[in-house]
Amino acid sequence: MVQINLPENSKVKKGHYYKDKTGSKNIRKINVYRWDPSSGENPRIDTYEVDMDNCPSKVLDVLNKIKNEIDPSLSYRKSCAHGVCGSCAMNMDGKNGLACTTSHADINGDIDIFPLPHLKVKKDLIGDLDGLYKQYESIEPWLKNNSKDKNDEIYQSQKDREKLDGAYECIMCACCSTSCPSYWWNGDKYLGPAVLLQAYRWIIDSRDEDRKERLEKVADELKLYRCHTILNCTNACPKGLNPAKAIAEIKKMLATT
Amino acid sequence: MENNNPLSPHIQIYKWHISSLVSIVTRITGIINILAITLICFWFTFLLLGENNYQIIKLFLNSFFGKFIALGITWSFSFQVLSEIRHLIMDLGYGFEIKTTNITGIIVIIFSFILTILIYSLGRQFL
Repeated sequence: MVQINLPENSKVKKGHYYKDKTGSKNIRKINVYRWDPSSGENPRIDTYEVDMDNCPSKVLDVLNKIKNEIDPSLSYRKSCAHGVCGSCAMNMDGKNGLACTTSHADINGDIDIFPLPHLKVKKDLIGDLDGLYKQYESIEPWLKNNSKDKNDEIYQSQKDREKLDGAYECIMCACCSTSCPSYWWNGDKYLGPAVLLQAYRWIIDSRDEDRKERLEKVADELKLYRCHTILNCTNACPKGLNPAKAIAEIKKMLATT
Repeated sequence: MENNNPLSPHIQIYKWHISSLVSIVTRITGIINILAITLICFWFTFLLLGENNYQIIKLFLNSFFGKFIALGITWSFSFQVLSEIRHLIMDLGYGFEIKTTNITGIIVIIFSFILTILIYSLGRQFL
């Protein structure tokens, strides 16, 4: 259901203000969403003054700097710091992306950092992605081929392999799904762009023999057709993929077969 | 066990871009169009009931408020038609690149106003 307002326990309050202690002239204000599960209080926005003269170029570097030098209680996910693992997905300046590949120089004014939208927050910038992973499991993202012996190699032509380009690169960072208003309102039933892109990836795999069943499974008013081509997903994808087009291709396949 | 953790902010913080704007306006104009068609049906029913009613409607449509409503409905209709054409092209699987969606989105917005002026001035000719 469309629920524009946040529930009472999710309303964001003004938080602490951390003044710069380095005496630097190149200061930037960073507003970060904070929520501590042990406090029992509402989420708040803490503002940090960060010395940008001694800070590398990405938003993740800013967060690391805050955690190392100003406030060690700040929590966020990170791992590779090279846009490969998808751990540091968050909402920066009103747009989802990976903190490790987003330059803070590209953001004008104060930098607002929130967790991925419309998720249950676990702590600070960490959102709960369990629902999305369950949906991912539901599309059975593995190769199904029963006609070949397990020891046989399954060949794929170069042309068929090329069809997977733009689908297999997905790192499941959830930037697209959590940017989608349809997924916000119907996230319990609608699969969302990330999972549908993966569904598409297995449907078009020439080696997979379950194409028909996969298509039938996904052909559902709520699972698939909640996509109204708002295109937040394609605009958000940090890997430059196009989930909206993949969803359109699934719809097309269903209409033509 | 129910999860009482807070929900992270969504529509409050997410930045708008051309495609999301066109999408939401399409929905709003869709609702306006349904109301407008209902209104037009009432209008025709009134006409069937006699000439006096025709004069009342004419008076209303020539007032400032009436003209505003007529223009508004024309724009809402124009926007809906253009946006749905964009959707039809997308349903065929074309025009999903970010650059293309931005261009088609802007075309829909600009041409909705041009089409409004065209339809409205054409309609005025017959008055």
